[in-house]
Amino acid sequence: MERILRSAEMAEIILLPVRHHSPACAQHVSRMIQRIRPCVILVEGPDNANPLVTAMVHEDTKAPFAIYYSYHDTTGRISEEKEHYKCYYPFLDYSPELAALRTGKALGIRTAFIDLAYGDILAASGEGKWLLKKEEEKNNYNDDYLISRNAYLQQLCEKTGMRSFDEFWEKYFELNGLEADSEKWFSDLLTYCTLARENTSQGDMQEDGCLARERFMAKQIRKYAAEAASGDGAVLVVTGGFHTPGLMALLQGEGSDSTETEVPATGGKIPEKDQGVYLMPYSMEAADALNGYASGMPFPGFYQKIWENMSESDTPYENAVLELLVSSGKETRRKEGYLSTYDEICACAMARGLAGLRGKREPGAYELLDAVLSSYVKGECNMASDTPVRILRKQMTGNSVGELCSQANVPPIISDFQSESKRLGLKCATTMETEVTLSIFSSAKHRQISIFFNRTMFLGTAFARKVKGPNLQLKKDRNLMRETWKYKWNAQVDAALIDVSVYGATIEEAATGLVKEELKKELGAMESAVLLTKVFEMGLKDQMQAVYDRVHELMLSDMDFYSIGEALKSLMMMDELSGLYNSPLEFSELIHLGCRKLITLLPSMTRIKDEDLDQCMRTLKLIYQVTGRGTEGQFAKEREAYYEALEKMSQDLEIHAGLNGCIRGILYGCGKETADQVEMVCQGYLTGTGEQLAHTAQFFRGLFFTARDLVFIGDHFVNMLDAFLHRVTEEEFMALLPELRVAFTYFTPREIDKIAGMAAALYGKGREDILKRKEILPDWYSYGKEIDAYVKSRML
Amino acid sequence: MEQEFIKPPVEVRYKEELEALKNTDTGSKPENWQMSPKAVRTFILGSSKPIVYNGKEFLVEKKYLGNDALVERCIVTLAGNRGLMLVGEPGTAKTMLSELLSAAVSGVSTNTIQGTAGTTEDMIKYSWNYALLLAKGPSREALVPAPLYVGMERGILTRFEEITRTPAEIQDSLISVLSDKVLNVPELGDSGFLFAKPGFNVIGTANTRDKGVNEMSSALKRRFNFETVMPVRDAAMEKKIIINEVNKLASEAHIAMRADEDVAEILASTYHELREGVSSYGHRIDKPSAVMSTAEAVSVYYQAMITGYYYGNEEIRMDALVQNLVGAVSKENQDDLEKVKGYFNTVIRDKSSKEGGLWKEYYEARKWLK
Repeated sequence: MERILRSAEMAEIILLPVRHHSPACAQHVSRMIQRIRPCVILVEGPDNANPLVTAMVHEDTKAPFAIYYSYHDTTGRISEEKEHYKCYYPFLDYSPELAALRTGKALGIRTAFIDLAYGDILAASGEGKWLLKKEEEKNNYNDDYLISRNAYLQQLCEKTGMRSFDEFWEKYFELNGLEADSEKWFSDLLTYCTLARENTSQGDMQEDGCLARERFMAKQIRKYAAEAASGDGAVLVVTGGFHTPGLMALLQGEGSDSTETEVPATGGKIPEKDQGVYLMPYSMEAADALNGYASGMPFPGFYQKIWENMSESDTPYENAVLELLVSSGKETRRKEGYLSTYDEICACAMARGLAGLRGKREPGAYELLDAVLSSYVKGECNMASDTPVRILRKQMTGNSVGELCSQANVPPIISDFQSESKRLGLKCATTMETEVTLSIFSSAKHRQISIFFNRTMFLGTAFARKVKGPNLQLKKDRNLMRETWKYKWNAQVDAALIDVSVYGATIEEAATGLVKEELKKELGAMESAVLLTKVFEMGLKDQMQAVYDRVHELMLSDMDFYSIGEALKSLMMMDELSGLYNSPLEFSELIHLGCRKLITLLPSMTRIKDEDLDQCMRTLKLIYQVTGRGTEGQFAKEREAYYEALEKMSQDLEIHAGLNGCIRGILYGCGKETADQVEMVCQGYLTGTGEQLAHTAQFFRGLFFTARDLVFIGDHFVNMLDAFLHRVTEEEFMALLPELRVAFTYFTPREIDKIAGMAAALYGKGREDILKRKEILPDWYSYGKEIDAYVKSRML
Repeated sequence: MEQEFIKPPVEVRYKEELEALKNTDTGSKPENWQMSPKAVRTFILGSSKPIVYNGKEFLVEKKYLGNDALVERCIVTLAGNRGLMLVGEPGTAKTMLSELLSAAVSGVSTNTIQGTAGTTEDMIKYSWNYALLLAKGPSREALVPAPLYVGMERGILTRFEEITRTPAEIQDSLISVLSDKVLNVPELGDSGFLFAKPGFNVIGTANTRDKGVNEMSSALKRRFNFETVMPVRDAAMEKKIIINEVNKLASEAHIAMRADEDVAEILASTYHELREGVSSYGHRIDKPSAVMSTAEAVSVYYQAMITGYYYGNEEIRMDALVQNLVGAVSKENQDDLEKVKGYFNTVIRDKSSKEGGLWKEYYEARKWLK
């Protein structure tokens, strides 16, 4: 801790360095507050969250919870894209900031946040830095990374034999902090942070917005200190340890004017309406640093136990380690079945032994992990055998979820959710899952409920899930007339809603906003069509046109044959269903466009690979169907173009055999080619050399896909098949068998039966004869073989 | 000084160091251990400050590079009630670690059972001196103790190398000894119970490439704490290991040459990249199926060094290095050599054009890859 002494115009300022999330830190902070009794406690955190403090320290509010900040860059101050931004500031019971606020409340001391507002921080940060990181992960206000990533630390870990900053921290600050004197503890921490700061470049600090924030915080501290000058008591400032030396320098600086100009005015530049700040319940999983969310402390579940044990026991770590060894052992036993109590005894001895060897007061998180790794994992440690370690990690993360008191301000999207579900008669008060079946096409109300469910699903709330019903995205079960949904409300739904509240104040608005966001992404025609189906289901009438236009645009730009084919399929489906879903859009123009595009791309598909054959054939069939649509013959022109393309393709000598078969089938079907012509092509493959002969099977497959009736005209094809089977060797036949099997799946059982009859007739048999086969015993067979050999030898 | 062995055991090689650690040790030690667990740790992982003993300063060097936490777990396991089983790929220094542990804990690393397919129970427990047996009948005098017996009798560690190479029923003879710490010699009648003295424990090593040859029974597995020794994942550390080990071998063989940093770096990066399947420039590489262990790299380097010492002006040449590399990789599969060729023709080519110098020489030596 650092003291800045009282002067004429300012009260005494005491700076406490902390690490966000640390049981020892939280404990020392409360102790210090109780000892010093300051007149005001200032805490690092965006100052636009100040109205939330009352709810945060309310006794009904249970950690973990987070402050959710959102900002919509309507003025384009951060980037020209005018994007939505959001970040979280998670609090656990053992967060020193929360401990400070809670102790402040208990002692009746005024508390306040002093950092820049969220939008201003964004404006002060360099592109792609800290809160502006473009990664998918959730941005976290917690800036502990500042003290845990630097060259100094690396050397320190090497010297002390620690694996990471977290282990170092646990040994020297958590474990040793249990009995240390608070003043000494803070001064050790400050020493560490000062060294960490000295090993961080000014440029990095500038880019992360660190310096701008510190200037603002220093100004705020001065303001509060000046207000308190007349009264008694000090001003206590709780900030991340990294900032303490910086603040110190600023506060002791030559004067307040030198840096004044660079300090952005509070709230002045960023309009209030663009910023949102709410409390939301948080989960331990989200708070765990190991889940990649941010730079918090790992193992929140483990440290929560420490925090709870701290006041009651002298050995909180040992108790927690034992507790987790037993519970993870129990879970391992349940799942894997092999663990004995003796294993647990060994693990406990291991944890203690390691603590002794490593010079730690008590076994900590790392000894616990080592003990389980060495005593619970049997055999080589790999994916198959490390279940105990995974179980332990999960338990160390913890699974508790926070709660908010009823006074907590909720964003408008939650009230909208509540009023909507009330209006639709959904039961949201119970935690039981409710099932409801909706006749979406006959009842307007049911359709509305379905729309509501679809929207919440799109927003990723996990409130409702469809268990049965037409699936437009996968184009499955379209014959179903009813949808069955299951829904359940819990606190996580609210958290997820707050999470998307940056996109709008109502469910509909948020869904619309999210659709807009999706549209900005790089999509293919297929993805955009799937998005259109979602919009279709969500009944977002205003958005339909925008998505429709985007699909139009993407169809024009997308050059992927299959992607367009899939998109076309989705469009056809929606076209068929638009009456039922009561949609105002006309899809035929898009379908026409897609169809034309496919035909243009068609010739490039001539020499496809084997694995694409199936998809290509289905797309060919689709175009055939599409071009046959329309009563006024609006597609007639396309159909001609289609045939032309096909004819051109079939003239390419290197065309894929399967595709060739498929095209011949279509051309035969529309009378462009006669059965004889098709037969000739087939003969070509049949009489071809080795490789080409093998392609016959593929050709049949393609042909039967589109024109299986050919087989039943005369007996040419059966003869040809027969000739084919004669020509291939047994080995080749075995290799071709899978392809042939697929080829014959296109026939109905009755047709297969008919072909079998024809084949039997070729050899003068009836269709019954080939069904029954006489059994040949192995010894008869070997006897026959012997006779064969005998005859052969006599004949030579 | 005339040297008596090709490779002296650990306790001989580090005699003075062990002596110094033992006499300056202040920590509490388990019964019959030569030194405290902390001193064992220092012996294996090194100390940052020199130890002063008998007016001499000893800077304990780090002997096992890799996972420090693993070594700590091993030490604690040995002080406890369970055996220690080191498993891992070949060439990950399992045996070295077990020797270091035995030498530090018990003062001897030679109380060892060498597991093979032909290992029998009497090689583990005890056998008889038949002349004495006939003359005097079964007595302790006529009994020839094997390593397990010795370990129990004297309260020292017994090492069991390549345990999975021995048949499962032979492995299982350890089960009751490890849990009850008593060995029954029925021939000696009532006095035939050998109760293990404190300090006794077993360190086993097993090769994961041999898995399935003789799978350990779960009853035996339960009596061990398993530690999986992973190959070194860090090229810089691998280089350090190569240099350390090669220098050690060279001084033992009285070869007046020291390992060359740059050559070691090239070899370390070759082994590292072939093992990981990706180069430092991001090339994707076909991994050879042969074991690409650090121990192999050490032996390749050492061979090349000997060649240089005797035939080439005491200078290590890239040609010799590549020739020995061929011998090391084309053990199991001819395809491996093709993979290494491919590696030279892509990765080494690019490196030689970018880095030049030794890399270029290394690339030119690819003609020996055949």
